[in-house]
Amino acid sequence: MNLVRAEVERLSARRFVQLMVVLLVLAFGVTAATTLAGSHKPSAEELSVARAKANEARQGMEVAFQECLARQNETPPRGDTEGYYPRDCSEIDPIRGDRLPIAADFLVGVFSFAEQARPLLYFLIAFLVLFGFLIGASYIGADLNSGGVVNLLLWRPRRLTVLGTKLATLLGAVLVVSLLASVFYLATFWVIGQTAGLAGRFSDDFWSSLAAVHGRGLVLVLLATALGFAIATLGRHTSAALGAVAAYVVVWELGGRLVLEIVDARRPDQLMLSSHIGAWLTGEARFWDPQLCANSRPGVYCEGFYSLTWVPALLVLLMITGGLAAAAFAVFRRRDLI
Amino acid sequence: MSAVIEIEGLRKTFHSVRKGRRVAVDGFDLVVEAGQIHGFLGPNGSGKTTTLRALLGLVRADGGRMTVLGEPSPELLPRVAGQVGAIVESPQFFGNFSGHRTLRLLARAGGVPVSRVDEALELVGLRDRGDERVKAYSLGMKQRLAVASALLKDPRLLILDEPANGLDPAGIREMRDLMRSLAASGVTVLVSSHILGEIQLICDHVTIISRGRRVAAGRVDEVLAGYDRHEFRVRVAEPERAVELLQAAELTAMVDSGALVVGGVTDSTVISQVLGEQGLWVGELTPLRPDLESVFLELTGAGEHPSVPRQVDQAGPPSGAEGEPIDLDVRGVDA
Repeated sequence: MNLVRAEVERLSARRFVQLMVVLLVLAFGVTAATTLAGSHKPSAEELSVARAKANEARQGMEVAFQECLARQNETPPRGDTEGYYPRDCSEIDPIRGDRLPIAADFLVGVFSFAEQARPLLYFLIAFLVLFGFLIGASYIGADLNSGGVVNLLLWRPRRLTVLGTKLATLLGAVLVVSLLASVFYLATFWVIGQTAGLAGRFSDDFWSSLAAVHGRGLVLVLLATALGFAIATLGRHTSAALGAVAAYVVVWELGGRLVLEIVDARRPDQLMLSSHIGAWLTGEARFWDPQLCANSRPGVYCEGFYSLTWVPALLVLLMITGGLAAAAFAVFRRRDLI
Repeated sequence: MSAVIEIEGLRKTFHSVRKGRRVAVDGFDLVVEAGQIHGFLGPNGSGKTTTLRALLGLVRADGGRMTVLGEPSPELLPRVAGQVGAIVESPQFFGNFSGHRTLRLLARAGGVPVSRVDEALELVGLRDRGDERVKAYSLGMKQRLAVASALLKDPRLLILDEPANGLDPAGIREMRDLMRSLAASGVTVLVSSHILGEIQLICDHVTIISRGRRVAAGRVDEVLAGYDRHEFRVRVAEPERAVELLQAAELTAMVDSGALVVGGVTDSTVISQVLGEQGLWVGELTPLRPDLESVFLELTGAGEHPSVPRQVDQAGPPSGAEGEPIDLDVRGVDA
């Protein structure tokens, strides 16, 4: 417990951590300020017009669907135009669509919390992932490089305990910061929606869906933190983690993807970490596979997409992070600290 | 006396893709008894720091046996770590932390009462500077802070690697006094240093390492006695004539910088007698005792070719050996 307390104090006293927290607050501030400046409380007239437009859009969708069905049943209604209709009318069935047009879609310069909460949360998660990775890497990297770990081991000559405590403290601290930041962030935009925009219309599963994204995001933040920590431990330096990520992005995500496309490899996206991150965060990611439609009959609609779901995506992310963390602990256990 | 530190046959080789294989410690032995102030000497790259790091579990030994306060190290080092204060080379501290905060964190991590922090700062002379940031400290002050961190635990064994680094003359003297007072209170001190005069002044025992092997060990005075050639510097009015007279009396004598260097005699009165009987009156008769520096340079071969820059890791062989270090264990009666 003493070691944890000491590590918490060391972590919170680090300049880099303080700088990142300031940047986090700054990013919040800028986002909230620009949102506030670009939004206003809609007047009754604006709302009325927007509702009418939304209603009109919904009716238009319904009309198009009915026309498609009629064409499919070879009973085109009078006044039928030569519009495009899919072979399968269910594709434009308004009821089956992701969402129907709502008034908020037709309000210009009005922030709607219900509409914007999810994208805002993605931005927050992206920032926290960066925050966690950099702090995780610099925390152990600077300590290994400066001799701080050696100092500590002279006091507590149990390497795995010391490294494990550092990692646990780090993950705990990042989790607390992330939770606090999330609450503060969403509350701020909720207040903006209430006072200078629209709260929006919440579907039944709005909060549970938002909580699920948030939960997945927090897991991603913790994985990124552990990954930064593990790579910096293996490379003995903060820059090792930064270099490894830069090298991965350039060599594999860009170069590897290009090569795989040139050799016409099947489903290269599923070999990319970014695809798994996306699949984990959103629950499912869809990618184009032209070979899926290679044998489809002419004239028959073929979607040609395949899905990466969150379960295998999480397994991949856990295996990579867990593997690197295990390697870091194994190497640190035997390493000569000189 | 019981051994506080025992190292037997320690071996460590570093492997590097770029630099290849480098033997740092090659069958090294060291024994430090309780209550000693034990000097640990060796040229740069001789294996001192590697030995200390291996002893403290920071470097994995390839072979050999080590114990600290009776416990095998590094396996059971955690059992006695609370009684061992150590600094290895110049420890780095976070520049943004104050000295006080640095020690407080270490104390907390090690389960030491935080009240010890002020005592340790007082001991090393940083009482009034403890609240300043470490980055504002001079090299000597950082060194004092390092020593304070080693003293925090109120240790039974203190291992100090180059504690005088960066200290001014007054600081070196304070460090010397501190070590003496610690030893007087029962703390065993193992100190490595390049300041040989300091080692000679404060240490009662010494171990000298060269190219990873022990080349001498024992009480300081006995190590020095082993290299005493029983020579005297003599000043007389007619040095050439004096040489003839002394050589006739079967003593060795030669003129060096206007004075005579006379050897082959243990009793200096013989020299006075031989010269006095022939009417040559001795103006100076000084025994030429070896100091630790000359013994160190001779044992490590570091001073053999003063005009040629010596390369680290290429220390010359100890005298009397054709490339292989010899173990001149002169621990004597109480070894």
